Formats: sequence, C-alpha cells, structure tokens
Amino acid sequence: MIRKEAIEIISTYAKNNPIVSANGFISRDLFEIKDKESNFYMIGSMGLASSIGLGIALKNPKKTIFVFDGDGNILMNLGSLVTIGSLRPKNFVHIIFDNNIHESTGGQPTNISKINFETIANATNFKTFKITSKKELILTLKNLRKFSGPILLHILILPSQNTSKRITISSKEIRNRLITSLIK
Amino acid sequence: MNESIQRQIFHYLLDKKIENFIGVPDSTLKYFIDEGLKNKKIIITTREEEAIGIGVGMTLSNSKSLIFMQNAGFANSLSTITSLVQLYEIPLIFLIGWRGYLINDAPEHQKIGKIQPELLKIIGLKSRVITENNWKQGCDWALLENKKKKPCSLVIRRMFHD
Repeated sequence: MIRKEAIEIISTYAKNNPIVSANGFISRDLFEIKDKESNFYMIGSMGLASSIGLGIALKNPKKTIFVFDGDGNILMNLGSLVTIGSLRPKNFVHIIFDNNIHESTGGQPTNISKINFETIANATNFKTFKITSKKELILTLKNLRKFSGPILLHILILPSQNTSKRITISSKEIRNRLITSLIK
Repeated sequence: MNESIQRQIFHYLLDKKIENFIGVPDSTLKYFIDEGLKNKKIIITTREEEAIGIGVGMTLSNSKSLIFMQNAGFANSLSTITSLVQLYEIPLIFLIGWRGYLINDAPEHQKIGKIQPELLKIIGLKSRVITENNWKQGCDWALLENKKKKPCSLVIRRMFHD
C-alpha cells in the first residue's frame, strides 16, 4: 500500500473530525485527496503534529482527533509520546505512515526500522496496532471504536513516485477554517 | 522576582482567562509554576517546542494559552516560533526566564543570556521585561496583544545566584 491509499481510507473514516497532518508529502497528499476545513496542514515545525493534535484533543473531548505523522516526524519529537501517554486522551488517534525514509527531502533513511517502535508506543500507554496491508487497515478501522485512546496505528507503506501538488491555501486560511470547524 | 509576586502573576493571568500554562520548568519562574501546579493548570512537557505545539492546538480550540520556559528553551524554539506561531499567527503568550542576565551567571548561560534581547528583536516577537514593580502593566500589555491575536512574550530576569 502506498501512502495516498492509506490516507484516502483513513480520511474517509475520519469524516469531519479534525486531522492534523505533518509537513512534507503527508500534508500534500491529504490536501490533494480529501481537502476539508477540519484538516490542519502543518507546513513547517517538523515533529509537532502530534503536539498540536494533543492540544486540540484535550479541548475537544467530543471529537476524535487524528494525527497524520511520518516516521521522520515522530522520531523528531519522541517525547511527545511521553506527554500524550501521561495525559491519556481517549479521543486521540495517532497514525504513523512509515516508509522508513525522509521522502520529502530525497529519500534518505530514518532509523525506525532498526528499533522496535511498537515497544516504545506500548510503553507510553498507547493501544498500538502494526499494519502492513490495506486489508489490515480496513479491518483495524472497523474495530477502532472498541478501543479507548490514545491509539497508535503504525502503518508500513511503500515509497511512491506519485507526488501530490503543493498546498495552495494560505496558512491563515488553514487556521481560520480549522477554528470554524472546531466550533461546529 | 519574589515568591509572592510570582504567585500573584499566575492568578492575575488566570483571572483574565488564560486557561492553559504549558512548558518546561525554570528556576527563575519557580513560584509561578508552583502556583500553577497547585491549581492543576500546568502541563509539563519534554521540550519547549512540544509545549508550543500543544498551546497552538488549544488556542485553535478557543482556549488561551501561556508557554513558559527558560531562555535556553527559547533558543530551542526559534524555528517553531517562526514556522508555526508566526506563520499561522497564533496568539500565544510566552513567559521566559532570563538566565545569563547577570554577567557572572553559570558559564552555560552567559552567551545566550547576552544575546537574549537581540534574539527576540531579530525574530520579531514583541516582548516586555517584567519586574516586581511593573508586572501588572506588563501583563496587561500581553493580554492586550493576545486580544489582538498577536503572539508576544514577557521576560523575567534572574537576579540571584544559587
């Protein structure tokens, strides 16, 4: 499965719940596949999508917050797992799209395949799922409501040559749309 | 800054509807943070940038946030301030403890302490130094900036050695 396929499946599942997506190709894919006012495209500040998502989750207990993260991104802010795990937001779903590389910068390797990431996620109080196929992803999402957050889906994806277009809306517009959608 | 004023500042800001106090502890801000902990309003994070991210998420959810840190942590946060807080214009109030204000502070604080005011100026984050005498005006200024949806910072100098 490539990232775009996984993003399409999860963003459809998320309906109008907020999605905070990490910088680089992840946000570009989400923007191309399913742009919505409840999407927050984090175009800078690498590593912080999970922190922004945590802030939104703590203040919006009636919504389920999805964070679209990459392996490079989460490795840059691993401490975030500690903070999220200590606060245990029930409405927090953390997706890691893991291609084992920094794809947006030219495909240089991250070190995630050399460690046991599930062990870290489990140790920081996440209900953790490792997913390697489209079938597994669909099945996991089907059963997701049975579990209380924080939940983490570690999804192994294949690198792809299919690059999405740049995000064409301004940062202020991204902000204002999200604020409006959170009031609803 | 003395203990009683630090505790007063916390309650002053809380009364003015600052709801979240997120950051990494600093000894210069010890009593402010302690008062926040007593009132269960504090989130301690692993790094300053993480605190900023959480504060951004809360502010987008219409809940006002203050981010506290030492100036070493402010230096850690430069890229996050420019590419998140300023890019999206998120009205956070930063409270920064200024180590290295006294020239004979511990060696690791001297260089960053010396360039602290310049750093704030260069990245264009408006700031006021608050003291035991002017803290109320400083806080009112920050609350007004916050109301105007602008990020800003309050700085407390470390005036003692341990």
